[in-house]
Amino acid sequence: MSQLRIENARVIDPANVFDDHRTLYIQDGKFADSCAADASVIDAKGLIACPGFIDLYARLREPGASRKGTIESESKAALKAGFTTVFCSPNTNPVIDSTATVELIKQKAMAAQGVRVAPIAALSAGLEGERLSEMATLKRAGCMLLGHSDKPIEDTGVLLSAMEYASSFNIPISFRAVDAAIAGNGCAHAGSVATRLGLPGIPVAAETVAIARLIELCKSTQCRLHLSRLSSARAVELVRDAKQQGLSISADVGIHHLYFTHEQIDGFNAHFHSAVPFRTLEDREALRIAVREGTIDSICSDHAPHDNDAKLAPFPSSAPGLSAFDAFAPLLMGLPDLLNMSLIDIIARVTSGPARVVADEERRSGEYSLNPGQAADLILIDPAAPADLDAQTLLSQGRNSPLIGLASMLDCTGEDVPLKGQVHYSIIGGAVRRSPE
Amino acid sequence: MIKSDPQFNQFNKLHHFLSIDGLDKTTLTHILDTAEGFTSVNDKAIKNVPLLRGKTVANLFFENSTRTRTAFELAAKRLSADVLTIDLVSSSTKKGESLLDTLRVLEALQSDMFVVRHSDSGAADFIARHVAPTINIINGGDGQHAHPTQAMLDMFTIRRCKGDFSKLCVVIIGDIRHSRVARSGIAALVTLGTAEVRVVGPQTLMPADVESLGVTVYRDIDKALKDADVVMGLRLQSERMSSATIPSTSEFYQAYGLTPERMRLAKPDAIVMHPGPTNRGVEIAASVADGKQSVILQQVTYGIAVRMAVMSIIMGHGEEVREAEMNKE
Repeated sequence: MSQLRIENARVIDPANVFDDHRTLYIQDGKFADSCAADASVIDAKGLIACPGFIDLYARLREPGASRKGTIESESKAALKAGFTTVFCSPNTNPVIDSTATVELIKQKAMAAQGVRVAPIAALSAGLEGERLSEMATLKRAGCMLLGHSDKPIEDTGVLLSAMEYASSFNIPISFRAVDAAIAGNGCAHAGSVATRLGLPGIPVAAETVAIARLIELCKSTQCRLHLSRLSSARAVELVRDAKQQGLSISADVGIHHLYFTHEQIDGFNAHFHSAVPFRTLEDREALRIAVREGTIDSICSDHAPHDNDAKLAPFPSSAPGLSAFDAFAPLLMGLPDLLNMSLIDIIARVTSGPARVVADEERRSGEYSLNPGQAADLILIDPAAPADLDAQTLLSQGRNSPLIGLASMLDCTGEDVPLKGQVHYSIIGGAVRRSPE
Repeated sequence: MIKSDPQFNQFNKLHHFLSIDGLDKTTLTHILDTAEGFTSVNDKAIKNVPLLRGKTVANLFFENSTRTRTAFELAAKRLSADVLTIDLVSSSTKKGESLLDTLRVLEALQSDMFVVRHSDSGAADFIARHVAPTINIINGGDGQHAHPTQAMLDMFTIRRCKGDFSKLCVVIIGDIRHSRVARSGIAALVTLGTAEVRVVGPQTLMPADVESLGVTVYRDIDKALKDADVVMGLRLQSERMSSATIPSTSEFYQAYGLTPERMRLAKPDAIVMHPGPTNRGVEIAASVADGKQSVILQQVTYGIAVRMAVMSIIMGHGEEVREAEMNKE
């Protein structure tokens, strides 16, 4: 399909602050001003057209843990979520610290015909926090983002060096801030619920001490620092202050953290056992405000598919993480009402927001819009369609979502948010990757 | 979604005994009253009653225990049950078999009741949610979460010695953070309407938001003991010393040890309790543990009657489920 015309859609293009009905034209994989009269046509009446979503953190599990998920299964589930680009965690086996692994993932992604898979390159060899990875080589191989999965780099000397080295090549680094010694064997927010359940807690300080350390090193190294998956009100304050000082800092939040609190773990519900713990109502409120005001630039999936056995254990022994792709689009569509934001501003947090985080100025990849000349990555979403969370039709291999079978968040969190929103079309580089049956 | 409280069966009766959380005052009082009836059994020359004749109780201990396991064994035997004790500490679960696999094998032994001890908080809850509905579960201690039969025997002891909970000031000393005995004890004391529950210890031994459990927190043991009716010590686990939670046992004794001098700050008729085994000279002075205010050995004795009460109550409710299941077939 070399030429495509999309008619009657409500076009939302956050980079251009555009929200209105217009026709979109695609030629040779890029947006265009017009196209031939015999171009294929999609009638998108009732649908929203917007740039494809960018996920700054998901686990695709392959290579190494294909019993939990494969690049094929998860990159198709990601299309259902509305993503067209997914940055995948380097905590695979082998770790993404060599061009060979990057190539392997790219080939698998190509074969799968799902989303664009963008490997996050490990900052240290083997994620062991001792030697630097070959960052410049990995960048040449196509890695636009460095990271360290959920593992902190404990040696501050190594961390400083890694940040200095990364800044030499202008590659942004994404960290989930956690101080391993403070977090210890904790498996839930250190608060009233964990105390009642006798679960070892993860104090807020485990996150904030690590953020303060990263911010100081960011100051001295001038590296581009991205703080991934914030969890607490105090973390938001630290990020806000650092941004006000003009540091090159960005941040994201996992979408589930905008909905859940530690109350959900009551009854030892292992579905809510997350590496980044769900904290208090106040923390959740601060995260919501941070998304609204832009302190948080991006909303990611933090997708963590697991095999069924991984959750069939007592809470502390169950594997942490939630499968997020299948429910992502409806959760996102619920946010404008919940956060008192316009839809265009919410969509900005999954399009232009994350695009800016990973933008490479030299390659002018910062612009992420529907403008002519840009790669035609877009989705068509029906915001009113009931969510497809039927256990039989899930696309992710990970069934570890507390939202399976739900039509509203009411039964889950008590907030009356209907689960609506279905991605009907996903178009990547002008090619239709997902369409209705 | 997860069923809110797995302790209750389809007839809304107590089917498992997993934690004090979620149980009301009437239920707790019923257990205590039932235990009263069993204390007389234990005083007789022939100490058996036939309530659980023909039933099999399996003790599944995934974590070391001598006292609790023995008390459960004795309680089950006095109710005329067949008792099976399976030491799982060193066996299959260490070899990579999942808890669920182990559970399925044990189900096949056709027991009626499992008494479970496990090092994971929530293990008993997990087992209750996954076990066949005809089996009753008693939590014999799960991680740092709950030890509800210990709490009930403590309540039984307090009620026998002191009577009305609404007039009592109870002080719990030491490692609240890592203690399932403390969590269940606090929950029971609060549910039974205790006038004041105080906890005292250094911040390193307190869990986050401990006040949310309904207790008053003290740092100074002398202030905490003032006018107390009941003083409960907790065992200080030796591994706490190797981590950075307290500097040494001698320093702990200096700061929080229950000494005869300190006991004088409590009411003259205050009782001293401890779940055992005691670390003498660490959390409690020998003269206090053996003194005339100590009811530590009574706690052990009452533990049998209380466990008989819990076993007979939930086994009775289990019968209704087993009959219903039979009728289905």
